[in-house]
Amino acid sequence: MARVEVIMLKNSWLGTAAEAVVIVAISTVLGLSWNRTLLTGAWKGEPTQQVEVAQQGAVLPMPIGLAQVKELSDAGQALLVDARSSASYAEEHIAGALTLPLEEARGKSASLRGRFPAGATIIAYCNGFSCHDSMELGKLLIQAGYSSVYVFEGGLPEWRDAGHPVAKGGK
Amino acid sequence: MSLLKRYLPAAVRISLGAVFIYAALPKIADPAAFAGSVAAYRILPYFGSYLAAAVLPFLELICGMLLVCRWRVKTAALIIAAMNLLFIAALASAIARGLDIDCGCFRQGGAKTSPWLALGRDVLFLAMTALVLRFEKKDATTAAP
Repeated sequence: MARVEVIMLKNSWLGTAAEAVVIVAISTVLGLSWNRTLLTGAWKGEPTQQVEVAQQGAVLPMPIGLAQVKELSDAGQALLVDARSSASYAEEHIAGALTLPLEEARGKSASLRGRFPAGATIIAYCNGFSCHDSMELGKLLIQAGYSSVYVFEGGLPEWRDAGHPVAKGGK
Repeated sequence: MSLLKRYLPAAVRISLGAVFIYAALPKIADPAAFAGSVAAYRILPYFGSYLAAAVLPFLELICGMLLVCRWRVKTAALIIAAMNLLFIAALASAIARGLDIDCGCFRQGGAKTSPWLALGRDVLFLAMTALVLRFEKKDATTAAP
C-alpha cells in the first residue's frame, strides 16, 4: 500500500514538472514571437524602437546602431554626447564622450549653438532601452542648428556589454 | 467563520492570479521599457535583458490566468513561487549593491517603487502562493476516495 502511495506521489510530481515545462515552453514561444522584431533589432545591435518615429519628420534625430557608432567613434568622425546627469557621467560613460545633461541643455538652449563645431556629426546617448533623454537632447541640438544629429538608443548598457571602452570621472 | 473558510481559498487564488495578470499587461505593451527595468539590475547582459523582458511577462500572464480559471493550479502556483524567489533574489542583490532603481514590477516608468517595498510585496505574494498550494493539497486530499 505504502509503495503504491510512493509511486502515485512520484507520478504526481513528474506530471507537475511536465506541466511546468509545457507552460514555460508556451510562454517562451509566445514571448519570442510577439517580440520578434524587437529581439532581432537588439540582437543585431540595431535601433529597436524609434525608427518609425524618427523617419516621420526631419526635426527628429535619426537612430543609429552600435556598429555604426563604434565605427564613427573610432574614425573620429562623430562626437558622442552623454545626455545623462553629470553624476551618472562621472560614474561611467562611453570613453571619449562629452557630457551635456538634458536638464542643462534645456536651461541653456541658446548657448548650444556654439558648443560643438557647426558641421559636426553628433551622437546622443543615455541609459538605453526606455531612456528618452538622448532623443530629447537630439531634438534640442537640431533646433540649435546642428544638421547631423543621431541617437544611439542602446546607450551605455549596450556599449558596455559589447566590451567597448568606458571611462570614469571627468566633468 | 465558515463563510471565510469557504471563500478564502478562492479569494487568495483569484487575487494572486489577478495581480500577476495586472503585472504582465503593461510589460507586454512596452517590452523595451521593461527591458530597461531588467537591465537596471545589472545582472543580465544587454540581449539577456531583452530576452527576459520578452518571455517573463507571458509566463506571468499564463500563470495568472491559470490561477484565476482554477486549471493546473498547483503547477501555476509553483511557477509563480519560483518567479517570486527569483524576483526576491534580484531585489536583494540590487539592495546589497546599493542600486537606486525602480523595481519595474508593474507599470514601467512613472513614480519609482523602492526595492525594499517591492521586496516586501514579493514576500507577501510568496506567502499567498504557499496558501494557494496548501488549499489545493487540502482539496485534493478531501476529494480523494
